[in-house]
Amino acid sequence: MAVIRRATLLLLTAALTASACGTPPSKRGAESGKPISIGISLPLTGDFSQPGKEAGRGYQVWADLVNARGGLLGRKVKLVVTDDASNQDTVVSDYTRLITQNKVDLLLGTFSSLLNYPASAVAEKNQMLYVQPAGGAEKIFNRGFKYLFYAQPATAPHQADVFVDWIAALPAAERPKTAAYPTQDDPFARPVIDTMRARLEKLGVKTVYSTVYPPDTTNLQPIASAIAAKKPDLVAQGAVFEDGVGLVRSLKQLGYSPKQLFQTSAPSNADQYSKGVGAANTEGVFYTVSWNERARTPLNKTFTALYGRRYGGATPAEDAADAFAAGQVLQAAVGKVGRLDQKALADYLRGHPVSTILGPLRWDARGAPLAKFMLAQWQSGRVEIVAPAARATTTHVVNPKPGWK
Amino acid sequence: MAFVQAVVIGLLIGGVYALMASGLTLVFGVLRVVNVAQGALLILAALLTWLLWRTTGIDPILSAVLTTPVMAGLGWLLYRGVVDRVRAADPAMPVLATFGVALVIEGALNVTAGNTYRSATPPYFARSFHVAGIAVPQPHLYGFAAAVVVLGALYLLLTRTWTGRAIRATAQNPSGAALVGVGARSTAALAFAIGVATTGAGGAVLSVLYPFYPASHYDWIAKLLGIIVLGGLGSLPGALTGAVILGLAETLTATYGSLRWSTLVFYLVILVVLLVRPQGLFGARLREDAA
Repeated sequence: MAVIRRATLLLLTAALTASACGTPPSKRGAESGKPISIGISLPLTGDFSQPGKEAGRGYQVWADLVNARGGLLGRKVKLVVTDDASNQDTVVSDYTRLITQNKVDLLLGTFSSLLNYPASAVAEKNQMLYVQPAGGAEKIFNRGFKYLFYAQPATAPHQADVFVDWIAALPAAERPKTAAYPTQDDPFARPVIDTMRARLEKLGVKTVYSTVYPPDTTNLQPIASAIAAKKPDLVAQGAVFEDGVGLVRSLKQLGYSPKQLFQTSAPSNADQYSKGVGAANTEGVFYTVSWNERARTPLNKTFTALYGRRYGGATPAEDAADAFAAGQVLQAAVGKVGRLDQKALADYLRGHPVSTILGPLRWDARGAPLAKFMLAQWQSGRVEIVAPAARATTTHVVNPKPGWK
Repeated sequence: MAFVQAVVIGLLIGGVYALMASGLTLVFGVLRVVNVAQGALLILAALLTWLLWRTTGIDPILSAVLTTPVMAGLGWLLYRGVVDRVRAADPAMPVLATFGVALVIEGALNVTAGNTYRSATPPYFARSFHVAGIAVPQPHLYGFAAAVVVLGALYLLLTRTWTGRAIRATAQNPSGAALVGVGARSTAALAFAIGVATTGAGGAVLSVLYPFYPASHYDWIAKLLGIIVLGGLGSLPGALTGAVILGLAETLTATYGSLRWSTLVFYLVILVVLLVRPQGLFGARLREDAA
């Protein structure tokens, strides 16, 4: 097992690992001109390995770009990446080790709320700035932490605000009258749907069905049957991935196509989603997203190009962009403060917005972000941003959704 | 109507689960080994199926004809290379060793095939037959048919052939079987190979029904272990019953209650069955159990 982890790690972090361990504390410090080491633990294996690896790539592209442009405070940055195997205990010991043994200068966060929740506590205890690229569950921000910042535009409960805003702006006749809300019992998916449902009910959209299903649900037919029986205009699903693909397949098998279909996360998985549900069936599907490769934000084109060059022409996933943005947040704080004073870095971020490839980010006193996600829609086999207008890639919105093909 | 729909889908899913669980229970029955790598082998077979489908366009479910022998060979190698070596040491060792194998497979798939979701989508993947207002999803129906073929073949093999009788004899009484000339080691290797071979068809069906990625095997092995514990470790009819119960439990709880309860209810049923009938629904008590 250790051999496998080591092999994976080596592949991903290449030469970085070698220099990561055992640097004596006396050799560190700005005077020496040594690289600034940044400790990161990521779920490179296990349940979150897919987003974890993407986040690792995003960090790497960020570090490459920083180094290509003269480094941070005139020093190169060096990522020290460890694999927490998607395990809460491991992520705690990883960050503890990075801080106490590797004595890294800075930290960047890991992936998923599940892992960031305990990992951020380690950073807080050690009074180290902790910018996390994921982990939007509300409860993460309710612990009175001073060093925690979330590098996405909104926490989970507010991810779909932009979709509700879009519905609210529709002429009354075009708004959905009824809605179904199936959601996975996931800390990232469920709050999105809960908040959306409360806001849509206030707008007069009647809830005709709602259910919460466990993460190991592989068969979505029963839920699809229940939804089809109620014939809602809008289906809004708190989907992670397989469940999102499964519900589309099942609705199609039952021959029921809602007028609007919103899903969290699942449709953002580009190819994997369109291949999973069939490209023609993606038409009109809505989701909200923190980032898009064509969004008109500073450095976005550079990021996409660098990522493609480094990873065989691949398009970055949102998780990679979020990690890159977390790096940008850290970079902005260090650049403005001018020294590696963790408290001063945190104070800076609490008071100042930072420009990222996700758009401008700013935070409340808890480190929770105060911006808006983008509303994305699959149109003719590709993703368009349809709201907010400033970041939109098109003014055309597919509404209502066409039937299944 | 909702009830009939839920039962139809529950039965189809149960059949598919039975196909996936059959190899696991067979191996346990003969070797007293819980092959924790069965889930990972299932994912490996699903990936092979997907590759074949992507490169040649062969129907993924039919391609089980090609992947089954490959998986059988792999199973034989796995037995001779790993399981056979650790079996004698301690009854718990094969569990650890096969878990290690599962991690190796997952790691190898991560490195070679990449850590992304894949699913084979032949033209029928999201289609249904509509019969009297009931939707019968085509991929599930074909998956069910594959399950019937494989389980039927397995049943015939075990009951009608000399090889099958040797396997059953070894399962019931290894020393007795050895006395009448059944080679314990070669029979064990054969049973293990057959057990792993079922992942050929299981993985083929999985690749069409469910998106998968290298770490998916944890979910599957948990489900499969639940099924065979409920049905009775080592019993083929038991695996079938356990699988159908799980399939129906999933669809009926989702239709009449909440899916949140389905996992809990299923494992509670397992616990109750184990307390009342420790050998599972169909498990036969062996002399070693009575001692």
